[in-house]
Amino acid sequence: MSAIELDDAGKRYVKYEDEPMLVSRALRVRTGARHGVLWALRHVDLRVDHGECVGVIGRNGSGKSTLLQMLAGVTAPTEGRVAVRGRIAPLVSVGVGFHPELTGRENIYVNGTILGLTGAEIARRLDSIVAFSGIESFIDTPVKFYSSGMFVRLGFSVAVEATPDVLLVDEVLAVGDIAFQLRCFQRMQEIRAAGTTIVVVSHNLNAIRQLCDRALVIHDGIPRLDASVDEGIALYHQLLGEDGDPDADDSGLQIENGVAKVIGLRMVAADGRETTNVESGDAVAVEATVRFDRDVAHPVLGFAVLSAAGINIHSTSNLASPFGAVAAGSTHVLRARLRLPLATGSYLLRAGVHRVDDEFYASTQLDEAPAVSFYVTGSHEFGGLVDLGASFDSLER
Amino acid sequence: MSGLHGPSTAAPGFELSARPAPLPDLLRDLWRARELIHVLSRRAFFTRYRRTSFGLLWAVGLPLVQAVVMAVIFHYAVRIDVPHYPVFVFAGLFAWSFFSNAVLTGSTAIVDNTSLASRIYFPRAVLPIVTVAGNIYTFVVTIGLLVVAGLLFGVYPGFNTLLLVPAAALAIALSLALSLLLSALHVYFRDIRYIVQAAMTAWFYLTPVFYPLRFLDGVHAPRALGIVVRANPVTGVVELFRAATTGADPGWGLCAGISCAWVLALTVAAAEVHRRYDRLFTDLL
Repeated sequence: MSAIELDDAGKRYVKYEDEPMLVSRALRVRTGARHGVLWALRHVDLRVDHGECVGVIGRNGSGKSTLLQMLAGVTAPTEGRVAVRGRIAPLVSVGVGFHPELTGRENIYVNGTILGLTGAEIARRLDSIVAFSGIESFIDTPVKFYSSGMFVRLGFSVAVEATPDVLLVDEVLAVGDIAFQLRCFQRMQEIRAAGTTIVVVSHNLNAIRQLCDRALVIHDGIPRLDASVDEGIALYHQLLGEDGDPDADDSGLQIENGVAKVIGLRMVAADGRETTNVESGDAVAVEATVRFDRDVAHPVLGFAVLSAAGINIHSTSNLASPFGAVAAGSTHVLRARLRLPLATGSYLLRAGVHRVDDEFYASTQLDEAPAVSFYVTGSHEFGGLVDLGASFDSLER
Repeated sequence: MSGLHGPSTAAPGFELSARPAPLPDLLRDLWRARELIHVLSRRAFFTRYRRTSFGLLWAVGLPLVQAVVMAVIFHYAVRIDVPHYPVFVFAGLFAWSFFSNAVLTGSTAIVDNTSLASRIYFPRAVLPIVTVAGNIYTFVVTIGLLVVAGLLFGVYPGFNTLLLVPAAALAIALSLALSLLLSALHVYFRDIRYIVQAAMTAWFYLTPVFYPLRFLDGVHAPRALGIVVRANPVTGVVELFRAATTGADPGWGLCAGISCAWVLALTVAAAEVHRRYDRLFTDLL
């Protein structure tokens, strides 16, 4: 018997908008008008065996959170069937039920009980919870005096030490400092080795690659693929490329329309061929093909490389030394050469064309291309996102 | 790093479909959550007065001040003439205070605990139960106060004092049943919070807290008022507290019976609503 079984499970939400419910109910009875409905998730068939670790990949709004809520038993499916065997600890709920006036120790008891442990079980685990959180000296201080990092560390410790049969993880691998993240990661691998079933929802594809046996890709509420992690990540990038990135188009900049249009954006490898899969440290070029509908005296190419989590790793432009003047009706390829000494993972490239307006470098954006996603493979030798090229030596004094 | 512990008391998980779970499943989950109810209600009570200079004394002080003020005003200003009037008022007011505080906080318990309720499963009924249970601590203290006040004003304990137990039980059962039902409805109709607040004001006067039931049978009182007050589920609770202390008016047994009928009806309704919507509340939080 599998630890998790979903048979054609789906969840439909009714969009109540912002009407007061009492009034909207009454109106619906009178007018017969129906509320909009939204299938957040549909046709999910999933089997997860005991001790297996599955990563769920999908964009924001793809239905990942709804899936986790159903697995946690918080919400019932609208159709189909969801079955989970064993005690569940949702890591979604780091620190849930922490009361600011209670001490860390008291909160361990409350939080542990919420996760389904008995008083005796918590007492037995207390030492290891405290040790793992690394906040021994603050354990009898009310948690309202904790830093947010301490708060999360304590919550994470309770959840992982609760030794659930099924652990649901939602984007919490990014808590605390790097040392704590590493310990969390190790701990998750230990838990997994000990037979706990794990479902991970994360934008951190690197973590999913290292932790999970397989990946489930969800797109627009429909599962698209249940296969190996690498296949899953490949499909995810393909899906991202099809739609562009919905999270990254709100630059807040005013765009002057009708002057120039980016008709193509691509990343080119050293051999001149287009690529979306780059070896860490490789030299590449960003090429934007731009059609100019008016004369532009000082065109500029600007681009940004963003991490999967949306962090701006590097953004730049040739504002200080624009390209030469272009004539209306011409098409130009604007190119920037760069190296990508980045960590393994997926990234987004955004680029746009601008115009310098005066000698003070005031500029106007003319157009922006749909974002392009790419994947960097290679070096595992550093933590973080960028290889700063550190070298080590030892000098005797 | 510590080693792994063995598996804990593993709950066998759950199986969900669009059809709501049968009532026994919900009751089983509730029974499993008993330790959670205990821990959370302790938390609710003991954090309330934390960091105040007088701490838990406030749990006694607040109802006492309220009761003394009411006893003085109605005795000297309104001149209600009832033997052992202070004890008479204490009995009514402590019962009423517990009921109104429990229902006011209990009826919004599910929505008020959204952060807890939307991330991890336990029966949603746990939340109003915890809120009502958190009020029981104060209630027990005030019942003690009531006995002490009796000694001070010449109402000595006897066999009828034992009626305090069913009186308290009925008060708790009524508050619980009503809170369970209202907290579920509140998820759908957020107006419930204010409807309950408004209702409590009128409800207080329709409950014989500071006047005896027999005043309603006087020539000046409209007949309908007497009927409404006797049909009021809290009246039976208050009369039971009177029977346990200063003595109740005739007909108190009927009132207690009416209260029990209310509890039964409300419990059935609450059980049905929670069975049907337990795992759907989250969708609206």
